[in-house]
Amino acid sequence: MLLSESETKALCHQLLGYTKADDAEARVGSEDYSQLRFAANGFTTSGRRESAAASITVWIDKKQGSATASNLDAESLKAAVAQAEELAHLAPVDKEYVPTLGPQTYRPTGGYVEATCNLSLADRAKAIDEIIRACEKDGVIGAGFHQASGSAGGFATRNGNFHYDRESQASLSVTARLPDGSSSGYFLRNHFDIARLDTARIGREAIRKALESRNPRTLEPGTYPVILEAQAAGDLLRMGFDARSADEGRSAYSAPGGKTKVGEKIFDERINVYSDPWNAELPDSAVGPEGIPAERVYFVRNGVLERLRYSRYWANEKGQQPTPGPVNEIFESSASPVSLEAMIQSMDRGLLVSRFWYIRQVDPRTELFTGLTRDGVWLIEKGKIQYPVRNFRFNQSVLELLAPGNVDAVGASERISGSEGQGRGASLVPAIRVKAFHFTSASDAV
Amino acid sequence: MQFTRRDFLKTAGLACGAAALPAWVLETEAAEAAAVDKQGLAELALKAAKQAGATYADIRINRYRNESIFSRERRIQRVSRSQTFGFGVRVLLKGAWGFASSYLVTPEAVRRITSQALDIARANALYQRKPIQMVSAPKVKASWRSAFKQDPFEVPSDRKIEFLLQINEAALKAKGASFVNSGLTFQNEQKFYASTDGSFIDQYIIRTLPSFTVTAVNRSAGDFQTRASLAGPKTIGYEYLEEYPWLKEAQQAGEEAVAKLQAKPVAPGKYDLVIHPSNLWLTIHESVGHSTELDRALLWEADYAGTSFLTPDKTGKLEFGSKICNFYADRTQPHGLATVGYDDEGVKSERWPLIKDGLFVDWQTTRDLAPLIGEKHSHGCLHADSWGSVPFPRMPNVSLQPGTQDVSLDDLVAGVDNGILIYGNGSWSIDQQRYNFQFGGQTFWEIKNGRVGAMLRDGAYQSRTTDFWHACDGLGGERTYELGGAANDGKGEPTQANAVSHGSPVARFRQINVLNTATKPQ
Repeated sequence: MLLSESETKALCHQLLGYTKADDAEARVGSEDYSQLRFAANGFTTSGRRESAAASITVWIDKKQGSATASNLDAESLKAAVAQAEELAHLAPVDKEYVPTLGPQTYRPTGGYVEATCNLSLADRAKAIDEIIRACEKDGVIGAGFHQASGSAGGFATRNGNFHYDRESQASLSVTARLPDGSSSGYFLRNHFDIARLDTARIGREAIRKALESRNPRTLEPGTYPVILEAQAAGDLLRMGFDARSADEGRSAYSAPGGKTKVGEKIFDERINVYSDPWNAELPDSAVGPEGIPAERVYFVRNGVLERLRYSRYWANEKGQQPTPGPVNEIFESSASPVSLEAMIQSMDRGLLVSRFWYIRQVDPRTELFTGLTRDGVWLIEKGKIQYPVRNFRFNQSVLELLAPGNVDAVGASERISGSEGQGRGASLVPAIRVKAFHFTSASDAV
Repeated sequence: MQFTRRDFLKTAGLACGAAALPAWVLETEAAEAAAVDKQGLAELALKAAKQAGATYADIRINRYRNESIFSRERRIQRVSRSQTFGFGVRVLLKGAWGFASSYLVTPEAVRRITSQALDIARANALYQRKPIQMVSAPKVKASWRSAFKQDPFEVPSDRKIEFLLQINEAALKAKGASFVNSGLTFQNEQKFYASTDGSFIDQYIIRTLPSFTVTAVNRSAGDFQTRASLAGPKTIGYEYLEEYPWLKEAQQAGEEAVAKLQAKPVAPGKYDLVIHPSNLWLTIHESVGHSTELDRALLWEADYAGTSFLTPDKTGKLEFGSKICNFYADRTQPHGLATVGYDDEGVKSERWPLIKDGLFVDWQTTRDLAPLIGEKHSHGCLHADSWGSVPFPRMPNVSLQPGTQDVSLDDLVAGVDNGILIYGNGSWSIDQQRYNFQFGGQTFWEIKNGRVGAMLRDGAYQSRTTDFWHACDGLGGERTYELGGAANDGKGEPTQANAVSHGSPVARFRQINVLNTATKPQ
């Protein structure tokens, strides 16, 4: 059972009531989570977890300590407070201490649907069985992961702030492989409303990609024009926009001479990157970083780096306002979106990439990442998909990818969950066509 | 303090561990633990499962404690303790698994959760095409404790804070060292396991995880470089902070971070590599550890972590590497992060060869994987990272055995005309079948005519697993052997963390592809 607002508030205030610290913040959370995995066209593991926890951070003479209780009973809460206070007494003065916020007004957002939390085990088993049947019918081997969760919790500060929120989320990923291991397809979607999670479509798309990847040919690694499907773009695009590291000279957004790149046109002029807790497709928390009420915040507008993200402490140091976000990430074109079909039809020669895998940062100075293509790469020539090709490793700077002059076309933004994130969390990302993408070696993996 | 929706989930689901407790809190915990009759609760769950027709059931009642301290320069950023206590019941009913768990450790909750686990198994069994089967395991009644001299949870936190501030001072001694971030985490797992086999097992595990990263910034050029610690986490007590030369290494790291700003960019091409264990452990992890997981080979992880280029028909046939390559899986190795007394389905830990004289000979198995390749014995690789997580196959410590001769790093370098010496793990990435990998490092050094020369920067090596291990032509002796590792190896859906170590000697590889990863500045 998820904690109600009144239960959460009572527990937060119980924690705050146990401490005489100068300042404190109490947090209480609860979650109901369930999942079903399948592989080799059969169910493997399946489980459910109910959990709850409470934590407190205290400041005594500007010295900080935090502790989490293992249970919500009074003795456990008291023990957590005692531990936090003990740690605060032992800690040195926190030179970056900023008092917790007083009462704030948070404009409600969406993102919680009761049915998502209360899904039927029998319905889920049946839906997954139908996907396995589709795999068997098409002669592929299916694997996948269905999960659903509801979470509820809140926080309260010594200075009188309180907020309670609930969230639900369901996701399904399916991988379909040919029995001889020569091709593989994948599809993942998530949503806060389980009624919007089209399980049959997810299965169909994974099977289609596996079948259309049959008999891949080997292509030399090198620099190619590419179309990144929205999933591939969502896997790769990760933006930090941290002001402090940029000011300290250790970020891709630092500029020579101790400056930052704010005000510079870093991306193609069609690219916008922003956070919006009230986006209907991607609602998120009304609470921004450090308890600040979240707002719609642009970081990149029409390709120009408009702002970086300031914490309350760093904003104070630099004479800036703390940033009321991000709480989510939306990449959007300011031009009319181009469909994937139109991108393919107008491409002379290049590659269509379905998704990426094992993406790791190599050089933080340029936001250079390495990783691999997975589950579908196709050669396009003269506006048509010609044939599937084997996978590649890439070494690609994200800044270079989106730089003015490299972006050819941008699609409509879709709700995408990064495939390394397994369906927890999402962003709005479009398919993108770029002129140059650096593949540095070939991979035999399927 | 940042607080977002995702934090609700973290607070609720992932809170883990705690730390050096004031006496009265320890008493509270002890009282709480004593009040929980684990054996009684276990019998309740197991009896209900058996009555419902389960052919196997287990219950794990676990407490996880954690203490973390993070700092930068002369500031302690966060000091925190956390703990989580709960139980999970796993049942095998009509050939299908069911699992359920709760943070409420009471007889009522055990009855309810066992019933939920059975319901899940029943719902899934309707559609199960191939019933799950398990090999047997001996009935065990045992207690086990990991190797440590000083329990870090009994050390006052101010000593730990002082340790980190000393690390930071040492790192910032180098002129030009701009920033240092350091952290200390201590983990304690108190695990209780009981099963319908009649086993009852208690385990107490202590891990110590120090780390730091120094950054040197050239603000006028808009350039920066980092150097992270070479020593890694271990299943060890507080003595690790006193026995390893942390301050010396922090000072060296500061100097090397500054030196990297001026170092010569590596010229891309093929080089002979001499690789230190502080780098090679991660290559072993990704290319040998994950490829020899049987669940991957049987497509059980196809949807996320991936499969393997190894398949059961290649057992005893595939030449994985050169004849000098011997890899052992070992869950008994002292201070190994994956070292336990028993796995999470009651199988006693053991040591066994995976690659022998270059030949791939065996797998990592669990009780439900072993029958699928005709084995009657599990190697004991089942693990869950929490009471609330479904246990599944996880990697044991997998290590490259040292050479039989007393060969030193200098001896291996002496045999290289044009090569690179690499220390420390950096960026890493490998494909979903464990063929193609790319690894960075912390420091790269030119080798010319058998001698180590100037520092290089912006390097990474890229190869194919079997090509790489076939290119291994030199191993250091026992004296060069070191244990590296990570406490957060991710696998599974949902992802679970596994702590795992990998030992190796210094090793030499011929003609490996090296990239220059800098696009700018050069």
